[in-house]
Amino acid sequence: MSATSALKAKALLKAKPASKRRDATKAYCQGSAVLSIVIVSVILLTLLIQSLPVLMSGDNGLIGTQWNPDEGQFGIIAPLFGSVFVMIIATVIAFPIGLLTAIYISETRSSKLRRLIKSILELLAGIPSIVYGLIGVAYLNIWVADLFDLQSGRIILTAGILLGIMILPTFLTLTEDALSAVPQRYRENAKSLGMYRHEVFKDIIFPQAKVGIAGAGLLALGRALGETMAVMLVIGSLDRLPSPLFNPLSSGQTITSKLGREVGESAFGSVHFSALVFMSFILVSITIALTILSHYFLTRKPSDV
Amino acid sequence: MFKIKNRRHFYEQSFAFASRLSLIICAGVLLFLLGSIFIQGISALSLEFLFTPSSSFGKSGGIFYQLFGSLLMVLVAALLVLPLALGTALFRNSYNKNSAIAHIMDQSLYALNAIPSVTYGIFGLIFFVNLLNTGISWFVGSIILAIMMLPTVTLSTYQAMAAIPKIYHENAAALGLTRTEIVRRVTLPQSFHGVVTGLLIGLSRAIGETAPIMFIATAFSGVSVPQSLVEPVSTLPTHILELAQQSTDPQALQNAWGASLTLVLLAATFSGLALFLRSRLNSEGHQ
Amino acid sequence: MYKQSVFALSALILAACSAPEAVNVSGSSTVLPAVSLAADQFVAETGTTVVVNAGGSGSGFNQLAEGQTDIGMMSRDITDSELERFKTIDFKRIAIGRDAVVPTISSEIYEAGVKALTLAQIADIYSGRVDNWAEFGGPDRAIFAVDKEASRGTRQIFMGVVMGNPKAKTPGTDLVTGSNNEEQTALTQSDSGIGMLSFAWLNEDVKGLSIILDNGQVVEPSLENIQNGSFPFVRDLLVITRGDIKPPAQKFVDYLLGPEGQKAVEESGYIKVSE
Repeated sequence: MSATSALKAKALLKAKPASKRRDATKAYCQGSAVLSIVIVSVILLTLLIQSLPVLMSGDNGLIGTQWNPDEGQFGIIAPLFGSVFVMIIATVIAFPIGLLTAIYISETRSSKLRRLIKSILELLAGIPSIVYGLIGVAYLNIWVADLFDLQSGRIILTAGILLGIMILPTFLTLTEDALSAVPQRYRENAKSLGMYRHEVFKDIIFPQAKVGIAGAGLLALGRALGETMAVMLVIGSLDRLPSPLFNPLSSGQTITSKLGREVGESAFGSVHFSALVFMSFILVSITIALTILSHYFLTRKPSDV
Repeated sequence: MFKIKNRRHFYEQSFAFASRLSLIICAGVLLFLLGSIFIQGISALSLEFLFTPSSSFGKSGGIFYQLFGSLLMVLVAALLVLPLALGTALFRNSYNKNSAIAHIMDQSLYALNAIPSVTYGIFGLIFFVNLLNTGISWFVGSIILAIMMLPTVTLSTYQAMAAIPKIYHENAAALGLTRTEIVRRVTLPQSFHGVVTGLLIGLSRAIGETAPIMFIATAFSGVSVPQSLVEPVSTLPTHILELAQQSTDPQALQNAWGASLTLVLLAATFSGLALFLRSRLNSEGHQ
Repeated sequence: MYKQSVFALSALILAACSAPEAVNVSGSSTVLPAVSLAADQFVAETGTTVVVNAGGSGSGFNQLAEGQTDIGMMSRDITDSELERFKTIDFKRIAIGRDAVVPTISSEIYEAGVKALTLAQIADIYSGRVDNWAEFGGPDRAIFAVDKEASRGTRQIFMGVVMGNPKAKTPGTDLVTGSNNEEQTALTQSDSGIGMLSFAWLNEDVKGLSIILDNGQVVEPSLENIQNGSFPFVRDLLVITRGDIKPPAQKFVDYLLGPEGQKAVEESGYIKVSE
């Protein structure tokens, strides 16, 4: 970034209001809006451009399981699998508990109590991930190691449980929103017909809330995939597919834990660095797709179903 | 008939049991999380801990410069994001009539929200630290945190603007005010609470972020008050990260808990203020 | 256009506020304690700020090469491929102390009788050929092999001696850690672990193994054996600088080699290089 381009930019800034006579507030707002959109594109473009070296480096074993930078092997399968595996464990833990608790809360008639629970959930969602990481290394990994009689609790299962706890508040609160959005009179009518609560839920509420629940789930999945610090501290950083494949008691690696540990150690501009950026690009693509899809679900009204 | 009723009854009982059990599990997890952070943290926390610099790699001493670095970085980030979020929300609310552009803006903000925190760190490392050659710098950390806060602050501001009753605008327009005058005299003052709420929520998230800043803005030891924009600082999250890696050392662990409690209290203060503001305004009939 | 101007402005601001005379040091977590301790005294004596950052030898070298730090700390030598990547830069390597990488086992195994192994036996563990302590006269318990991240200096010295290749693949590994602290924690929590630590990190929970040489001689990981070089994993602790080093950074390097700096090296559990 040179002084000439700065001068040019200044000149442009000056020229605009003079030539077009637009008012300053409007120009400022337009500028902000443009910048907000540009930032996203700059981030994605930067990642894409920095991914190119590894994509064009030919024989790099990208779609493989071997990660060995010194031999030019950059297989992304093991961390990709780890990310998905950990996410599945987190989901299996968080979704049933979250859904059932949301049902319980949504049936509470006291709006004061509901607001209190919501506030607590918001505070809980605000606990920084590094603090979850500390709880993971100080307690959870030791408990898991004792429970399964392992040498170390830094394993995929620990990461999955921790992640499940972390996404629980988000999933729970959004699911509860979806359930509460179903008009109260539906429940009352159904109950007056003599339906049991589980039948009311299954036949009346769930069909109307399922889109919202799906949105909550997708958003939580996106969070789970992108979570770094807590996972990085408890997963064990082993660049290998577990053996047998679905063994949650083995150490592993996710894309995020790999990035967190290795980005600082790879030289900027090297193929190694580029391979890490490429992994990050894949991760971003998945999380953005999940989030946009979830917003699509969450903003649909129950009546659209 | 009898059998079916029994089965229905059994399902009902199980359903009630399962949902109650889930609630208890949630409450248990909640109590455990908050309890362990508070009980472990409170024994480490003292005024001396807050105002003494750390020594022996964080094992002894306090967290003064980490606290300072964290606050400096997030508060500057808030100052950076404020004008941008305000302008973007105003544009969306008052100037833009094109629904396609509104759609693109929404999707961009959702996308920003979806980008994993570690990716922000990598972007900052490539774009600022290497391409703009800033080196490890707390100000770059602030810029990155500001970008992360952008969706939250913008959406909160925009929602507050959208909630202003139409009649205000109509009256102002009837008085002969131009659009810009309406923006200045009606929209901005009436939506100010949205800006503040958004900023507070943004702050409460940003202060706990580790992954976006650990490659680009922080250093391990020897950091005091930065003399320029391009120096690293120490922060609470990165400090906890260092200490968490030596979790069998009781001294290190104790200081990690102390730093964690401080961090959680700071985040809770920001989001608590936001909740308070929101509930007060709700009860006044805004929004 | 706005983007351009904002970037231009931010670049201008950043350029205008270039850092004052601060010395940045970054790299190996093994070298860090000594440098950090010396830095605290240096700051107190001279008033020059010294910022110390951890991250591992590889990261220290990269940051120095990219100009993001003034001094890199390394617990291994610069490799040929690293030199190859930055041919135009003139690197200087300065030894500030000596240390040994010690094959380390959980105290439970040590007390059960495994106190010395040959290099080949250790290699068997990491290559996955042996997976039970009973094979080495210990308890009938699976071996829990802890490795370190590939870029770590400690790991490269260790694997260079044991496997004959600093970057050797280790299919026998069960867990990978980063810093010495993290490795020490993992070994402490395990009751049948083996790993690698800098000499300064040994304590009652993690015991250093003696090495049985080919001629049958057993070498203990003691200060004396490290000093005279008979323990096979002895290494220099390095600070790396570039030809274009700034004067305050050079002053700090000189300080490290002076009496106070060398005292800090000793207090951190390492062996000094000069009298």
